[in-house]
Amino acid sequence: MIMGTRRVTNLALLVSIGLVLSIIESTFPPLLPLPGAKLGLANIATVIALYLFGPSMALEVTVLRCLIGGLLRGSVIGLFLSFSGGLVSTLVMIAIYMLMSDQLSIIGVSVAGAVTHNATQLAAAFLLVGHATLFNYLPYLAIIAVPTGLFVGFCSRRVANSLESLSLAVK
Amino acid sequence: MKKYKSNKITAGDIVFTVLVVVASVASMVMIARATAGEKGSTAVVEVSAKKVLRIELSADQPGKTYTVRGMLGPSTIEVEKGRARMLASTCRDKICVGTGWVDAPGKEIVCLPNRVVIRITGERKPGRVDTVTE
Repeated sequence: MIMGTRRVTNLALLVSIGLVLSIIESTFPPLLPLPGAKLGLANIATVIALYLFGPSMALEVTVLRCLIGGLLRGSVIGLFLSFSGGLVSTLVMIAIYMLMSDQLSIIGVSVAGAVTHNATQLAAAFLLVGHATLFNYLPYLAIIAVPTGLFVGFCSRRVANSLESLSLAVK
Repeated sequence: MKKYKSNKITAGDIVFTVLVVVASVASMVMIARATAGEKGSTAVVEVSAKKVLRIELSADQPGKTYTVRGMLGPSTIEVEKGRARMLASTCRDKICVGTGWVDAPGKEIVCLPNRVVIRITGERKPGRVDTVTE
């Protein structure tokens, strides 16, 4: 696949945004004493990519930022967890974006992404630990994903609209 | 692709978000109900390494006592919701009685002279210590 210079640049920028956001977020104290309950700021990069450049860009941004982020943090388990969560949530967001954009706006897409991200991470953790009682945390992780998903959604909408009016985001 | 500009919150957003919240709260309640019985778990009583009694500690039964026959004589076990203790025992040192209440899965009261062991079994609550050496 031949990529235009502009596309490569935009992809690199979005991946960097995602990485920087996840580094910033890692300096925050944990929201709740629950593993997996985090703000998910890096998802802003994916949501922006989806709404400004389309599904394939969103997928590329997620895959790259999860891989690079995992290598930076140096934890294989962390890479596995963030990669699985990121990939599945991005696929779900793309599906909603493509099939249901009349019903759900960028906000709803972001919430759906947050919920599936947490659910997938839990499933991935289950694969590692093999303890079915882990799924007792699912409703807690799902309900936490609502405020964090809303926050990420509002941020993404703001950024996407600003970028659009600056007409920086040209495909 | 230019849909986001007029990306006002839709009714679908609200319905979906509320649905997630409702489903989560409902499952929390269901899980809390389902695991409520595990909390108190079970006390298993063994005499000479043979299981003689299995007491559910989930029911509210304050002050209920059970008596088993050990090597030397009767041992009396008192149970409450979620915990058990040796109330009286036919042994010299009464170490088992002195152990007091045990409530966490994996904890035991051992009376060597009378060959009686009370062991708490059940689901281990996450986030708690694995074992305590005393």
